[in-house]
Amino acid sequence: MDGFAEQKVPEGKLVGVRLRYGKTIEKVLITGDFFAYPENAVYRIETALEGMPSNSKAGAIAERIAEVVKVEGAELIGVTPEAIADTILKAMTE
Amino acid sequence: MKWRVIPLETHDAYKNMSIDEAVLRAIADEKAQSTIRFYRWKPSAVSIGTFQSMRKEVNVDRCRELGVDVIRRITGGGAVYHDFEGEITYSILGPMGMFPRGVRESYRLVCGWIISGLEQLGIKAAFAPINDIIVGGKKISGNAQTRRQGVLLQHGTILYNTDPRTMFNVLNVSSEKISDKMIKSAEERVTSVSSHSDASMQQLYEALLYGFTKDKEFEFGNLSGDEQSSARELEGSVYRTDAWNFSR
Repeated sequence: MDGFAEQKVPEGKLVGVRLRYGKTIEKVLITGDFFAYPENAVYRIETALEGMPSNSKAGAIAERIAEVVKVEGAELIGVTPEAIADTILKAMTE
Repeated sequence: MKWRVIPLETHDAYKNMSIDEAVLRAIADEKAQSTIRFYRWKPSAVSIGTFQSMRKEVNVDRCRELGVDVIRRITGGGAVYHDFEGEITYSILGPMGMFPRGVRESYRLVCGWIISGLEQLGIKAAFAPINDIIVGGKKISGNAQTRRQGVLLQHGTILYNTDPRTMFNVLNVSSEKISDKMIKSAEERVTSVSSHSDASMQQLYEALLYGFTKDKEFEFGNLSGDEQSSARELEGSVYRTDAWNFSR
């Protein structure tokens, strides 16, 4: 199945998620007008989410994202791991 | 350390964005000085942030009808309509060590130079974190930054005048929604130099040049031959390609 959701992060920017999923998350594309330094971290986050069970809780998804951010030494501006995770769940329900 | 200042020039979107990346690479390779450049976009163009979806943000068909180019930037942030008659864009590039480490603080520093330039025209502007400059609560300048290969690039636009009708035509808002109410709302959120000053575009450029170079050692210069060929290569292999511009 394909899903899309978008939301304004409180005090932040716009974040969108386009994804393909079945029992697991197969493909994720994170879009929006936020900033990430380095930008590659966003592509790494997308890859790291692939294979996660589709019924994962927001906390587990956010944790996986935060892990990548930490490993990459990245900084997200205008978006948070929690906001991305929340948008992913919305994309799978809307 | 002497800055290189490349005076106001006009290119199309593909060349403008290729030059920024070519200069970034040259500085990373220690083959170029820190650089300030000013430029306009002809034809007018829409640039989108590096993570944005082109089809979602931009009315690509309408852009083609109007001869407006579309391009993806290497910097984050939002979609911008670069009206040839309506704005001046700048880029500033230098080793990261020249700027504050914190992202917000480095935006504040560079935006301060724009604010100082606007002050020359009698316009009192203020930094509005994360990446905007406002006058009387309305946005007059949007800015975006990337840091790669040890180099910081910040580019941004300073609005000279606004054309909300064309802006709504090229950004992805359905035509039914381009009501007077919506245009009014854009006017309520965005302002431009011409609403606050009689300055010509040239005078705005001179004021910005002052703001950016005040207290700096600098010399006027151009791209080196290597930078020009690197920009040509990037234009063909990246910035003119659908693979890049429509990657999201």
